[in-house]
Amino acid sequence: MTTDLETISMLRDSFERYCADHYDFLARSQRLNAATRYSDSTWQALAEFGFLSACLPESLDGLDADAYALGALSEVTGKHMLLEPFLACAVIAPSVLRWLADAALQAELLPLIASGSLKLLLTQDHLQTDCLISDGHLSGRQLGVLHGDIADQFLVPARNSQGQSVLCLVSPEHPNLGKHTYRLVDGRGAANLSFDAVPASLVCSDASRVLEALQQVRDIASAALCAEEQAIAQALLNTTNEYLKVRQQFGKALATNQALQHRMADLYLLSKEIQALTQCARLACSQTPVDRRTLSGARAYCIQAARRIASEAIQLHGGLGITEELQVSHYVRRLMVNASQYGSREEHFEHFAQLSLPEQGAAYV
Amino acid sequence: MNAQLRAQVCSLREEVRQFCRESMPAQLLEKSHRHQVLDKADYVQWMKLLHQRGWAAPHWPAAYGGADWTPLQRFVLEDELARQGCPWIIPFGVKYVGPVIYAFGNEEQKARFLPNILSTDEFWAQGYSEPNAGSDLAGLKTQAVRDGDHYIVNGQKVWTTYAQWADWLFCLVRTSHEGKPQAGISFLLIDMQSPGISVNEIKTMDGYRHVNEVWLENVRVPVSNLIGVEGGGWNYAKFLLKNERTAGAIVGQAKHVLERLKQFAYTPQNDQRPIERPALRHTLTNFELRFMALEAAAYDAVEAMMLGHEDGGEASIIKIRGTELYQEVSETLVEAMGMAGVAFDPQALHAATLPPLGPDDAGGIIKEHFYNRAATIFGGSSEVQRNILAKVVLGL
Repeated sequence: MTTDLETISMLRDSFERYCADHYDFLARSQRLNAATRYSDSTWQALAEFGFLSACLPESLDGLDADAYALGALSEVTGKHMLLEPFLACAVIAPSVLRWLADAALQAELLPLIASGSLKLLLTQDHLQTDCLISDGHLSGRQLGVLHGDIADQFLVPARNSQGQSVLCLVSPEHPNLGKHTYRLVDGRGAANLSFDAVPASLVCSDASRVLEALQQVRDIASAALCAEEQAIAQALLNTTNEYLKVRQQFGKALATNQALQHRMADLYLLSKEIQALTQCARLACSQTPVDRRTLSGARAYCIQAARRIASEAIQLHGGLGITEELQVSHYVRRLMVNASQYGSREEHFEHFAQLSLPEQGAAYV
Repeated sequence: MNAQLRAQVCSLREEVRQFCRESMPAQLLEKSHRHQVLDKADYVQWMKLLHQRGWAAPHWPAAYGGADWTPLQRFVLEDELARQGCPWIIPFGVKYVGPVIYAFGNEEQKARFLPNILSTDEFWAQGYSEPNAGSDLAGLKTQAVRDGDHYIVNGQKVWTTYAQWADWLFCLVRTSHEGKPQAGISFLLIDMQSPGISVNEIKTMDGYRHVNEVWLENVRVPVSNLIGVEGGGWNYAKFLLKNERTAGAIVGQAKHVLERLKQFAYTPQNDQRPIERPALRHTLTNFELRFMALEAAAYDAVEAMMLGHEDGGEASIIKIRGTELYQEVSETLVEAMGMAGVAFDPQALHAATLPPLGPDDAGGIIKEHFYNRAATIFGGSSEVQRNILAKVVLGL
């Protein structure tokens, strides 16, 4: 179902208003020193505003949000570098339940997600795993799980005793569930999880449906992360542009140097390409079948382009660019973590290559 | 480079490697290999070790406690130490203010300051940049006004590395507002214990404390701490810069991080070695080519210095190419590490804790990556270096 443009605008505006009031850079900076940078009061506020229901069906007062709506919300989470697990827990996990879980489980968990009392987390978006589920107990490890430090419950891709891929729901807070939590470069948290015969139930035991669902996870995440990159690129461009106009050395503004003007023009070009490709990614997500060539291509290009803008933004700010006090280096680190999620740039590049340049290039001979 | 020079280079490199194997205390070696954050005691220990070996200031004239080393010897020493991942040679005493004092200071100043610089019994910081004087250093405003046999100093310095550890600050101050800005700059040595000095940390993205703001409020500095003459400061600063042309450490650091990336590429991950991925192999090959060009250009530069026919652009070439290559290699390494490249707890950098993911030096790799993001900014930004090439070499 396509969310209409008016609803998308309203959603984005109210999310932006909330973040402008409660999540400005100074407020966020103060939270970075805390032991856990996640804030439950923020999560509850998001629930009250209805943002956690975005991906729920209308029957549960959700918006049944599509890639366009999620993209709009992701622009806000990117611009404000939200520390809370919006994409992972308000978008990906409920979407996976809607695709794979039976009606009873959906009825049980989706309202809890919407109210903010359950942060459900999918531990990985692919099937390479040493996790095994046998007789209702899960064993194995999941390393480097973003938000694994603050999630309430986990959805874990695993193999059953016949070696087939399945999706499990692991019971929360079990003594045999080991969590080694740690901090990431951008202030978000992660965990290494170990399951030692932890009770778990099967959400879906159909390997092909699980595989397809995980690919769809990567699809939405790609569109969402491109949107974060679009917002970050824009913010970096704006702040760097202003800095060059204001900063004086040798008796004149840095902006008067033609060499720097040309570099800014190059960054502007990149930001327009990111913007255009982000739109393409949203459209690609909404097609049937999903256009994965465009999605992987957009992802690969946007990661690289945003990184280039971020690096130039630091350089053009001089020494100030590497300080904690300015937003620039924080955006750089947000981009680093985003690029480690839902497929690396190299993976998306290779995927795009496979879909663009097939082995048998019959059309070119 | 002729055969005799090559032979000399080989044996010195081997001496440096042997030094790293046999003379470095195990704890310091371990901390260095993992690129952990070093504290003052670590650096002082390191500088003293080098001094014992005669390597803290070998480029100084023998008359002042050095060994009259050639640019080639200096280059090779710094290059190889950096390749081995050794701690930074703290430059402020032995490379920057020391040579200024023996070249332009009076006998009292030489006697008072040079021995403690060599031994690192006194720790120095460099008071150059100001909030409004970065690339435009001559625009500095920190004032020194004569009052009897003291100067009263007022102003603010920024990006002052390790000011929190410093006993002394060598400071560029403005003693005159007449004429060109450069002509009114003087070189003052300031005791960090003086009343009126406060040091504040500047928090940086690499998670540890190295740069600071230094506030000077009515600081009284004896006139006897003026180096040379009033208004000579800019020339002394230029002399200091000329002393820094070999930059072997830049080449060595680029080599070190490239070797680390290769080590990563050849280590199997999930039954596959990253080097088997064509994209990474291609990228690595380009890095190898660029390093080959960098090293060759660096040796050409050193040779030009030895023969006295530099064109003035040599140091800029090494800095531009070396730092930009370093940053790209480092970025590739951090990206290739995936989640292990974004797990970062600054506290762990100070302790000997293992990172939660990836190789033992994962935290150190990320820290070095963040720290060296500034390599194209400090010490004359890449933009300034290109200005030098355009103006000094190309005459544009």
